[in-house]
Amino acid sequence: MKVKFFTVLMLAMALFMSACGKSDADLTKAATDKLTSEKVTGVTVAVKDGVATLTGEVADQAVKAKAEAAVKSVEGIKSVTNSTTLKPLPVATPAAPDPALTGKITEDLKKAGCTGATVAVTNGKVTVTGEVPAAKYATCIQTIQQSGITGIDNQLKKGA
Amino acid sequence: MSVQEKYQSLLELANTNGVTYELTEGDGGALVITGTAPSAEAKQSLWDEYERLDPEFKSNDLILNIGLGDAAGGGGHSYTVESGDNLSKIAKGYGIQWKAIWDANRDILHHPDKIYPGQELKIPV
Repeated sequence: MKVKFFTVLMLAMALFMSACGKSDADLTKAATDKLTSEKVTGVTVAVKDGVATLTGEVADQAVKAKAEAAVKSVEGIKSVTNSTTLKPLPVATPAAPDPALTGKITEDLKKAGCTGATVAVTNGKVTVTGEVPAAKYATCIQTIQQSGITGIDNQLKKGA
Repeated sequence: MSVQEKYQSLLELANTNGVTYELTEGDGGALVITGTAPSAEAKQSLWDEYERLDPEFKSNDLILNIGLGDAAGGGGHSYTVESGDNLSKIAKGYGIQWKAIWDANRDILHHPDKIYPGQELKIPV
């Protein structure tokens, strides 16, 4: 009886050991493979004692979050330290000179039924003033933002 | 919190919905997202998320400039609404369903019955 109990205990121990027996090297490989399968590039993983550290430069915040979630999902990884950095963004350039942008936005606003809004563009940045019906507000903002501007000062009011 | 962190869910949604985009830095550190959506619904979902994160669009820290790809009607015709028009009538003229026009113009229309003279509608191909 005693022997049997000991055997069971040993078996349980063996099982337990194999379950958490993934080495840091195994985990690093698994995490790297996971990133590849998720099409995340530019991220390097290093695992120490089950803790993964991510480094490298990523295109944007969405990629950064995706990389972290992907590595977290790897079995055996206890936690993730996300030290990836975001690629610096190029400076935006206005789609057209200021007077042309002002003209285009004014015309687009008219078409969208946003006649109460007035725009003035300086160095690609638009200042919006006036008042439009509340139901039209989001449409008017959308019309302005998809004109190729590089900045906005939104002072538009919602009317009745 | 950085601007990109603030709008992380919007960027993730863009990826999920097949919107291709480029990021640049605008005036005062504003995030400028310039991209193309595969459908009007995909584009609208981004605007809905934008409105959820910045309800009045008053933060002035994001410029969302999303156009529609050719497949979504970007390469189709356009039609200027005249007095007395309705979507069914316009659709009939092109031999399509009114709903196709409605779907392609969700960004400018809020209700299928409410169209106004002078509005330019995209007619999907």
